[in-house]
Amino acid sequence: MIDRRLFFHINWGLLVLVAMLFVVGAINLYSASTLRGSEGLELDVYFNKQLLWGGASLCAMTLVVIFDYRHFQAIAWPLFLLSFALLLGVALAGKSISGAKRWLDLGFFHFQPTELAKIAVLILTARILSRIEGRLGWINLGKTVLIGLIPAIIIIKQPDLGSALNIMLILGGMVLFKGLTPAVFRTLLVCIPITLPFGWFFLHDYQKKRILTFLDPGNDPLGAGYHIIQSQIAIGSGGFWGKGFLEGTQSQLRFLPEKHTDFAFAVLGEEWGFFGSILLLVLFCSFLYQIYVVSLEAKDDFGRYLVAGVFFYFFWQILINMGMVLGIMPVVGIPLPFISYGGSASVINFCMIGLVLNIAMRRFMFKKSG
Amino acid sequence: MGTFEQPERPRFFSGPALLLTLLVVLFGLFSIRLWYLQIYKNEFYLNRAQDNRTRQSTMFSPRGIIRDRDGLLLAENAPAYALALVREDCPDIPGTLDQISIWTETPREEIQKSFELGRQRVKPFDEQVIVSNISFDLVAMLEAKHHDWPGLAIVVRPKRFYTYGSTLAHILGYVARANEEELLNDPSLQLGDDVGKQGIELVLEQKLRGSKGLEEFEVDASGRILSSRVLSQPVKGDDVNLSISLPLQEAATKILENKAAALVVMDAKTGQIVVQVSLPTYDPNDFVVGISHSKWNDLLEDPLHPLQNRPVQSSYPPGSVFKLVVAGLALDSGIMTPSSTIFCSGQYTLGKRSFRCWRRGGHGTVALTKSLVESCDVYYYQVGEKLGVNAISNYAIQCGFGAKTNVELPHERSGNMPTPEWKLKRFGERWQGGETLNFAIGQGYTLATPLQVARFIAALANGGLLLRPTLLLEKADVIGELPMTTGTRKYILDSMVATVENERGTARILRRPGLRIGGKTGTSQVVKLMDKYEKKATKEIPYKYRDHAWMASFVEKDDNCYVVVAMIEHGGGGGAEAGPVVGAMIDLLFPVEIGPKPEVL
Repeated sequence: MIDRRLFFHINWGLLVLVAMLFVVGAINLYSASTLRGSEGLELDVYFNKQLLWGGASLCAMTLVVIFDYRHFQAIAWPLFLLSFALLLGVALAGKSISGAKRWLDLGFFHFQPTELAKIAVLILTARILSRIEGRLGWINLGKTVLIGLIPAIIIIKQPDLGSALNIMLILGGMVLFKGLTPAVFRTLLVCIPITLPFGWFFLHDYQKKRILTFLDPGNDPLGAGYHIIQSQIAIGSGGFWGKGFLEGTQSQLRFLPEKHTDFAFAVLGEEWGFFGSILLLVLFCSFLYQIYVVSLEAKDDFGRYLVAGVFFYFFWQILINMGMVLGIMPVVGIPLPFISYGGSASVINFCMIGLVLNIAMRRFMFKKSG
Repeated sequence: MGTFEQPERPRFFSGPALLLTLLVVLFGLFSIRLWYLQIYKNEFYLNRAQDNRTRQSTMFSPRGIIRDRDGLLLAENAPAYALALVREDCPDIPGTLDQISIWTETPREEIQKSFELGRQRVKPFDEQVIVSNISFDLVAMLEAKHHDWPGLAIVVRPKRFYTYGSTLAHILGYVARANEEELLNDPSLQLGDDVGKQGIELVLEQKLRGSKGLEEFEVDASGRILSSRVLSQPVKGDDVNLSISLPLQEAATKILENKAAALVVMDAKTGQIVVQVSLPTYDPNDFVVGISHSKWNDLLEDPLHPLQNRPVQSSYPPGSVFKLVVAGLALDSGIMTPSSTIFCSGQYTLGKRSFRCWRRGGHGTVALTKSLVESCDVYYYQVGEKLGVNAISNYAIQCGFGAKTNVELPHERSGNMPTPEWKLKRFGERWQGGETLNFAIGQGYTLATPLQVARFIAALANGGLLLRPTLLLEKADVIGELPMTTGTRKYILDSMVATVENERGTARILRRPGLRIGGKTGTSQVVKLMDKYEKKATKEIPYKYRDHAWMASFVEKDDNCYVVVAMIEHGGGGGAEAGPVVGAMIDLLFPVEIGPKPEVL
C-alpha cells in the first residue's frame, strides 16, 4: 500500500512549518495557561493536555497520509452521511457545555461532530467539483452549496455560528477556486452584498450584540465590548519587542478573556510584540504558500480541490481569528489553528495537513501509471 | 486570432491564483494592522494596560495636634469608621443605598445627596465615603455581613476629637466635612475630607492638615490585590502649641458660668492670649461627627448666640473704658493738664439737651485722676466737646480701635470709631453735637471688641507698644506705638491704679495685696437712657435692655504683667458685675502665696 519511494516525496517544508507553528503554539499556550496570583505563578492544565492532543493529532495525520487520497472519493458520501447522522445525534442527545450542544461523550473524551463535518463536506465537495466540466453554472452551484448548507443549518442551531460559517466559507472558497461562469459570478457579486443584511434576522441576540459591539466597542466597555477592547490593549501594549515571555500583564492578570482559546494570539502579541506577531504571520503565510504550491503540483482535479479546500479551511480561520483579535472583525468563536487550545480542532488540523501531504507525495504516481 | 475563444486573462478570482491573491491580502492587511496597534499606538495601549492593572489609593495623614502652652492635649485624632461604596463593585447601587439608610438611620434623601455629590469626584474603583462616623457596633455588624453587599467598604480615618469640648470651642473652632465650595477651591481636598471651619482649625488649616500619601496596588481583573507600593508617604500635619493655658481657661469658664460674657487674659509684654472665654458656648465635637439638624437650629436660634466668639466677633460700646483714650488725648493735646479742673453738677447742657452724669448728684470739682477714678461723665462731655469728634476718632484709631487686631481667629470685627463723614455715609444724616459727647464717654456709635480693649490696656502697661495679639506660643508682632507721650501714658496708668486703690474708685473691688493692679470700669448702654428704667435696679430691667458691664485691668508683679478684660453682656454696672469676675481671675493668675507657686503658666 505504501511505497518506500513515497517517503522521499514527503513535503518536508510543509511539515517543518507545521512543526514550528505547533511549537510556537505550545510555548504561547504555556504562557496563556499561566496565572499570576498572590502566591506566584500557577500553571493550568491546558498546556499538558495540548501536548497529549498533539501526539493524538500526529497519529491521525499519519493515518490520513497512509491511504492514497484517491480512495477518499469512494468514502466521500459515507463519511458525509456519518457526520450528518452524528450532527443529528448531538442535536438530540449531545452534551451541553455553556449553553451550546456541541459535544458527543465518547467516554474517554468529548468529540465534536462539527469538526468531522468540516472534513466530510470538504471531501464531498472536492469529489463533486472534480466531476463537473468547466465552470459552475447555476444548477451545479446549487448542488454544491447544498452539500454545505445542510450540515451548516444543523450546526447553526447548536448554536455554533463560527463552525457553520467556516463550513460555508470553505465551500465558497472551493467554488471560487473552481470558477463560476461570468454570468453567475457577476450576479452573485451584486446579490450577495444585498441579501447579506437579511441574514441579520437569523442571528441570535448575542450574535447581533457582537456585531453591534464590533461596530462600536466603546458602547459597552465592561460588557460585550470588553473582549475587543482588552484584546487590542494586550496587542497594542506589546510594542515592538513585547513584554517578554510570561510578562504580559493583560493575560497574566486575567484582563484578557478566553486567552488560551480564541484570544491566544493576543497573548503572543502582548508578550512577543510586533516582532513575534509578524514572525507568526510570516509562518502562517509560508504555511499557506506551501499548500498553494501543492495545489499547483496536484496531478488530478480531486486532489487539487482537496488542497484548495484545506487552504480555505486554514485561511478563513486565520483571517477571522486574527481579524477578531486585532479588532477589525466581529467576535466569532473561531480558533486560530495551532495557536488556540483545542483537542478536536488540533486533530482535524493535522488530518487536513495529512491530506495535503498525501496529495503532495503522490504527485508523481500518475506520471508512471498515466 | 479570429477565434471565439477570448484569450485567457489572468484570473485572480479562481484557480491557484485566487489562493495567492488571498495570501497577499492576508499578509498586507494584518501587518499594517499590527504596525498600527503595536508601533503607532503603542504608548496609548501601554497606558491603558497600566491603568488596567494598577489602582491608586489615598493614604490619609493625621492632622496636627493642638496643645496648650504647657503641652496639654486640646485637639487630637481618634480613629473613626466611615461607610464607603465602590461603585464598580456594586451591582445594585440604589438597593445598597437603601440598606445604608436603614443601617445608619439616616434619611434616604441625605444618603442620595451624599452619593450624588461624590459621584463625579470619585475615580473609578475608589471608595466613595457615603456616611462618615458610623458607630463601632455598626462596624462589627457590617464585618459579618460584608459579603452579602458587594461594593461596600469600611474605611478607617483619623477623626478630630476635642478633649475639652466646649471649653475651647471658640478658640479651636472645629473641623467638619468639606462642602462643595471648599472642594472646588482646593484641589487637594477629596470628598469626605475634614477641613477647618472655625477658629484655629480654620485659620491654621494649611499648617495643620499635612499632605496625603498615595499607594499603588497591582490588581488582577477581579480586583484582587497582588502587590502594593507607596508612591508618596503621607506627611503628618504640623503640631500647634497655643498660648492658652488650659487650667486657667477652664477656671475662667467656671467663674463666668451661666453668663453671656467675654473674658480675655493677655500677657501685656508678649501679646500672647492666655485665656479667651466666650459664653455661652457649644461642643465642637458635634460638628466633627456631623451636627444634626435640630442641634444646629437650636444653636442658630438661641437668643444668646452661642456660636459667636464674643472677644473678637462682637463689638460693644466700650462705655467708660473709652475715657482712658479721651483722657490721653486731652493731656497730649494740651487741652487739659493733670491739675486743671472741671465742675460736675450732675449734668451738662449742650444746646437744648442736657447730658447727665451717671452720678445724679454730681462729682463737684474734678481733675483728671478723679475723672477716671470716679468715672465722671461731665468731665468728658466738656473735654470731648473741646476736642471734637474727628480728633477723638483719629486718636482712638491710633490706639488700635476701629481696626482688626488680626489675631489668629476668623471673622473678626473691627469695631467702629465714628466720624461725621461715616455717619453721613452710613445713615445719610448729619453729625449732631451731642453725639460727640456720647462718643467721649464711649457710648452711641462707639464700638470696640473686648480684644481691642485688652490690646489697648496692654499697650498702656507694656511701655506703649501696640501688639498683634496671638494665640500661638510666640512673641507677637509689634504693629505700632500708642500716640501718647510717656508722661501721659504713665499718668493714665497711675490713674487706673488709683481707681483700684482709692476708696471711691469704681474698680476698688480689684484691690489685692502685693500686686500692682490698675482698672477701669465701663457700663455701656444698650438703649439710650430711658427714664422708665433709669432708677430701677438692674434686676428689674428686662434682660435685653440691661447695660453691658465692662472691667478692663492690668496686674503687675515683678516682671509679669497681665491684662484682664471682662465684658458681661447685659450685666448691668461694670464695677459690680464685671469686677468680681476680673478679681477672681487675678486670684488665679497670682494665687495668694501660701506655698510654692503652682506652675500654671
